[in-house]
Amino acid sequence: MKKLSKKALNHSFLNWFYGHLTCFSQEHMQTFGYMTAMLPIVQELYDTNEEQTEKVLTYSTFFNTEPQVGSIVVGITAGMEEARANGEPVDDETINGIRAGLMGPLAGIGDSLVVGTLLPILLGIALGLSGGGSPLGAIFYILVWNIAMFLIMRFMYFKGYELGGKAVEVLVGEKANAIRDSIIMLGTMVIGGVTASWINISTSFQMLGGDGSVIVDLQKTLNDVYPSILSAVFVLICWYLLSKKRLSPVMVMLILVAVAFVGVLLGFFNPNLSY
Amino acid sequence: MTINVAQAAILGLCACLSSMPGLGGTTFGNYTLGRPLIGGLICGLVLGNVPMGIMLGAAVQIVYIALVTPGGTVSADVRSISYIGIPLAMLYVSSVGLDPATAEAQGFAVSMAATVGTVGTVLFYGTATINLVWQHMGLEWVKKGQLKKLYLVDMVLPWISHILCSFIPTFIMCYFGSSMVQLIKDYLPMDGLAMKTLFTVGSLLPAVGVAILLKQVVSKPVDFLTFFFGFTLCACMHLNLIGCAIVGGFFAIINYNIRCLALRPAAAAAGAGDDDEEDI
Repeated sequence: MKKLSKKALNHSFLNWFYGHLTCFSQEHMQTFGYMTAMLPIVQELYDTNEEQTEKVLTYSTFFNTEPQVGSIVVGITAGMEEARANGEPVDDETINGIRAGLMGPLAGIGDSLVVGTLLPILLGIALGLSGGGSPLGAIFYILVWNIAMFLIMRFMYFKGYELGGKAVEVLVGEKANAIRDSIIMLGTMVIGGVTASWINISTSFQMLGGDGSVIVDLQKTLNDVYPSILSAVFVLICWYLLSKKRLSPVMVMLILVAVAFVGVLLGFFNPNLSY
Repeated sequence: MTINVAQAAILGLCACLSSMPGLGGTTFGNYTLGRPLIGGLICGLVLGNVPMGIMLGAAVQIVYIALVTPGGTVSADVRSISYIGIPLAMLYVSSVGLDPATAEAQGFAVSMAATVGTVGTVLFYGTATINLVWQHMGLEWVKKGQLKKLYLVDMVLPWISHILCSFIPTFIMCYFGSSMVQLIKDYLPMDGLAMKTLFTVGSLLPAVGVAILLKQVVSKPVDFLTFFFGFTLCACMHLNLIGCAIVGGFFAIINYNIRCLALRPAAAAAGAGDDDEEDI
């Protein structure tokens, strides 16, 4: 009965933690990071170079997902590789079927939950701590993000290893959905807070009376309606262009350049600059 | 403020570590060193003005708070934003004598970073393309059974890609940055249309970053109410983001409990008859 040592598993995890994207290309994406991560596993389970080579080549098929959450897949295949070395009927197709099947769902979970929710919350808190140019926010972010992600990825990897092929059932279920939706709810609220706190779009449009007195100060009027309403409106317009009109972010940025140009010409925007 | 050879080299090294397929790894490279707030801290340390670096970095960070790269599509290049855009903005702001706390200075930093970040996507595709060479060499080695060379392919050879596509561009842009910034100052007056537009763009661009994130979290129209709940907390009730996160967390827990309650009848029906009578 072959059993992977803690040392080999740690080595494999660290190879993935560091190396999953270091040799990225559009063709293979994370494939080489994956093979490097599986190397310590394969080396411990098999003695001859031929066997090791054969098993490493199992992982030369395309792989790409959100790599931080995706460390669970590497753990799962480590567990399956161990089962295979013990004579269980696991073939290349089974392993690659699981890898291909989990790639998409995990990328969705990872992008919305880790990068879309946890990251902005931490960055938002860090920005809040950066007032007046204080380095406290940046230091907070460096420590919390890196320690949290290292532990989360390590947990995911070893959880995947423990579960092996059974992990698939745990990852897609009603309870997993409830947790995800609730965290996304928190994320949506924080994004609303980020918009109100960190986006500052205002108009300088004013209507002047005959004697130079201000009759209508548009920004003041808008603030009475709903504070920072222009920031919210611009976010909604961008959201509409991105998701309903399916424009690329670069395209939306170019549209905003045009809006800014016209706005400045018409006197709607005026940053009041001088040397 | 000027940038000497050593400073430009350090910024170039940070660019190698922080880019999207970066040598610092995803967690510490892309998502730590690549974030403009952290870039601001490092540029501030390297150039000797931490408060200015942080203030400009924080302003740029808002634009890119939601920068995700799904499926390897990059809309903005973090190495250029953090280690070309921010240093150039710092040079400009200090040479014009702006206070980095003002909206003008931060608007310029955002415009500068957004410009180089968009152009810099070329560097991303360059790095990824050169990596193809190493990967093809690597596959040949693996097929021949030279497995240890995987480390060479995955962690050593990409340095060559990054020296070409990260180090050299960053070094040149930063080292000659002072004269470039001087040109901008001479030829583009602050009250001219071009500069006014540039600054205004700077204040509008953060909306794109938030909208990208919103696109990921909004799945049905009612989710906008959640968004405006958070917005109202901060805009009307003047909570800060930590307060907002705590209120949001409280509602998330309520939501989770309700969802779990909704799941329960199904579970009870599935395991019918066991302990039901005790509950009644």
